[in-house]
Amino acid sequence: MHVQELILRLQRYWADRGCLVGQPYDIEKGAGTMNPLTFFGALGSKPWNVAYVEPSRRPSDGRYGDNPFRLYKHHQFQVILKPSPAKVQEMYIESLEALGIDMSKHDLRFEEDNWESPTLGAWGVGWQVVLDGMEISQFTYFQQVAGFDCKPVCAELTYGIERICMFLTGIDNIFDLTWGDVKTDDGVFPISYGEVRHREEFELSAYSFEHANLDLHWMLFSEYEKEGWRLVKEIGHYLSAYEQTLKLSHTFNVLNARGAISTTERPGIIKRVRDLAVACAKGYLEHQEKELINAEGAEKKSKGAEESKEVKG
Amino acid sequence: MSDMKTLLLELHCEEIPARFLKPLTQDFSTAFTKWAEGEKLGYEGITPYYSPRKLSWNISDLPVAQADQTELQVGPPQRMCVDEGGKPTVQGQKFAEKWGVGFETVRFEQPAGKKEPCAVVELTRKGRPTLDLLVEALPRLIAGLHVPKAMRWGNSSFEFVRPVRNVLCLFGKDVVPIEIDGVKATASTWGHRLYHMEHPKPIKVERPKEYVEALKAAGVVVSFSERRRILEGQLNELAAQTGGQVVKDEELLDTLAEIVECPRALRGEFPPEFMELPKEVLVTSLKEHQKSFCIEKTDGTDLLPFFLTVANRDDDPAGFIKAGNEWVLKARLYDARFFFAEDRRTPLQDRLEKLKQLTFHRELGSYLEKTERIQAIATGLAHALRLDFAQADHAARLSKADLMTLMVGEFPELQGVMGGEYLKHEGEPEAVWKAVKEHYHPVSAEDAIPSTPMGGLLAVADKLDTVAGCFAIGQIPSGSKDPLALRRAGIGITRILWEQGWTLSVEALVDLGLKAVANRASKPLPETREALLGFFKDRVAYQLEVAGYAGAVRRSALAIGWSDLVDLKARCEALSAFAEDERFASLAQSAKRIGNILKDEAPADAFEASVLQVTEEKALAEHLGRIEAASDQATLLAALAELAQPLAAFFDAVMVKCEDAALRGARLSLLHRLRKAFMRVADFSLWQ
Repeated sequence: MHVQELILRLQRYWADRGCLVGQPYDIEKGAGTMNPLTFFGALGSKPWNVAYVEPSRRPSDGRYGDNPFRLYKHHQFQVILKPSPAKVQEMYIESLEALGIDMSKHDLRFEEDNWESPTLGAWGVGWQVVLDGMEISQFTYFQQVAGFDCKPVCAELTYGIERICMFLTGIDNIFDLTWGDVKTDDGVFPISYGEVRHREEFELSAYSFEHANLDLHWMLFSEYEKEGWRLVKEIGHYLSAYEQTLKLSHTFNVLNARGAISTTERPGIIKRVRDLAVACAKGYLEHQEKELINAEGAEKKSKGAEESKEVKG
Repeated sequence: MSDMKTLLLELHCEEIPARFLKPLTQDFSTAFTKWAEGEKLGYEGITPYYSPRKLSWNISDLPVAQADQTELQVGPPQRMCVDEGGKPTVQGQKFAEKWGVGFETVRFEQPAGKKEPCAVVELTRKGRPTLDLLVEALPRLIAGLHVPKAMRWGNSSFEFVRPVRNVLCLFGKDVVPIEIDGVKATASTWGHRLYHMEHPKPIKVERPKEYVEALKAAGVVVSFSERRRILEGQLNELAAQTGGQVVKDEELLDTLAEIVECPRALRGEFPPEFMELPKEVLVTSLKEHQKSFCIEKTDGTDLLPFFLTVANRDDDPAGFIKAGNEWVLKARLYDARFFFAEDRRTPLQDRLEKLKQLTFHRELGSYLEKTERIQAIATGLAHALRLDFAQADHAARLSKADLMTLMVGEFPELQGVMGGEYLKHEGEPEAVWKAVKEHYHPVSAEDAIPSTPMGGLLAVADKLDTVAGCFAIGQIPSGSKDPLALRRAGIGITRILWEQGWTLSVEALVDLGLKAVANRASKPLPETREALLGFFKDRVAYQLEVAGYAGAVRRSALAIGWSDLVDLKARCEALSAFAEDERFASLAQSAKRIGNILKDEAPADAFEASVLQVTEEKALAEHLGRIEAASDQATLLAALAELAQPLAAFFDAVMVKCEDAALRGARLSLLHRLRKAFMRVADFSLWQ
């Protein structure tokens, strides 16, 4: 199983089950949850099914490409189902079969693992899904995002692409996985994960641990924060403000990996990120409400117009 | 009674966290019992079952209906209900009407608590069918369960531990038509997921007693204790096949039995190169990351390169499960080995500076400050106990440095252990690395105290700093509030002193602690000292209880001094042994009698022996000399034992409070000095 094949199959499977296939959001982030498709999608009452792959950066996890099991940047495949369907576990298990896992020959367990993101003010309860002793997915029922109750509740499924691929192939070094085959007139060239990503792992680990300019990052942190608040407060734009929140969060992660944040400072800094995230969520919900009212108003108007037409006719 | 049926209720959910299974089934059982009592429904018993996806209860021999109940309704006094002619008054009529009976059924009698006869109606309330009562009560009892981490799902606002997907509820053969969050109860449920790959329909349960077997046929062992028993047997067998034994861990066994419905232990191997990791690291890594047991040699020393884990199915048809677990374990151990290698590149000494950044407690400062206090206490202790001063200081200095290592970051429970391992690797003397390794012990009542004196010293210093520090800032445990587990620390200190047999008074120890934390204190020191002494006195009393001394021994021994544990232990031992002696009862009684006689007296210490007249009192005075000459507890106790007879004889022959003032004074002094001798052992007035 190639890395790209895994992603393609998951996209196909979830598209067939009524999900929009989304795209990664083009700003650094630590997890697929931070993509606006999930962050805003999980809020409000609108039904929302979406699936997408998300490159996720965790500067502290960087290992210079030396560790066969750990990465600075890994890929999550994220599925949001709102409201959570009654057969959500069965749907998930079928998705594993779609990846070629014959469930009659494996051991599958759902073990308690609750999720919390202090920077997003979000939490949920759920499981880590364990296949033959290996954690292959996170499964979460969102309860709150940015401090707002999720009503209805959505289910979030997160597949660790690299892990599952290693597991399926039995290859015990991420960099030895095959990303895909390049076919040219001269023949077929299998391209490894390492060829695609190893240099990136090396340089970005080095950047996070050694070369990142701390003064610059502290400056960026406060500038992104200012910009975010300006956008959400003065302009009333929640989405551009949310982009600043994402940058803020990643800047925090870089500073953290450099060991520039002490344990006593950490909670305060996390709160600064969360406060902005909460303001964005609030902006989004207010905007949704206005749209709903407008839509109702427009419906009434058009109805009224039709009626008056009839009278005329 | 003839008409009894069994009630079966099963909530089939998505996987329920293991830690909630037992409390939830118990809570429901309690709530049901209380409800049934209120409804006057007797039953034979409740058997709860649980598995990852099931919470169920079998309630046997519940009557099909409540018994009819009679109750008395008391009305106005007789004189107001009946007129002089014996005719009912308006008020009397109204009372009868109120309860829907004719006046002729109204009786007149004097109920308890009334001063005169009153109108009384005896009503019979028809018992309701149990089925109806269950329909009303069960949903309420389920919704009322306390779920610590409740969740919502889908569109509903119902809260429970995990989504409820099926409800099975039978009363005898009848379905109890309840509904939980829109899920209607039926006579069916679901078995193991694997089973339903081939059987798409739910399994039917005809009557409650078929439940357990029906589930078994569908791949689910629903009884926790049965799963645990099965697993334990399999684990032991698999370990024995390698020539080793399971590294015991009851908690892990519980967890494993909680996370599977169809238990099957399996054994895997890991590459021998990981055997270079310390045993504790392997055991912890396997337990925490993979819920796996290690196998050790039968002498309990080294590990063998095998592990045991559990699968939620009875077989491993393609070998994938074993291979998968081995593969994951290798990845985990790879990480552990990385941490172990990486950590050893920096000596612990060089990590001290970083402890400044790690807060121990907001008001008590960083771990570096804590380290300095531990050093102060440890050196004070070394001085008092005549242990190596420099070594104590050195071990204390390095005791917390492992908190900054990667391994402890990953496995906090390896704190201390890693410090010890790394110091061993750095070539520190055994006394030092062992002390650091063991200084968090004892962590529980079953746990052993550190095995070396230096380890005990360091453990006491660390715990004492925590306890004294918290007391000094007013964080004193009260009731069920003890967030920093100070009581456990206090018990640890007491146990170490007790088991090591150190001649160091608790008072001296408290003073050492107070001195170390003085500059962080926000409460007045004398007040803190008082509180600490009270706290330790309670711990010492508890220690005596744990040591198994009888109540009378504990009370009478503690009353005359508790701070010197060696002395206290000797007295308790002697008293316990002596209490078996037949002479003891008479002695204890005489001691009490002396107490009574001396109650309002203030006799002098000295008396003129020549004043004494009677043979028995002369003998007693002679005996007193021997007792007072005893320099240790054993001699003293032996002498006291010998005292029983002469003392009894004395009381028979002598009237203490005689007319002659000189003689009376001498006799009282004699008894007074005897009491002082008793008081070196125990306060017998508390002996009962």
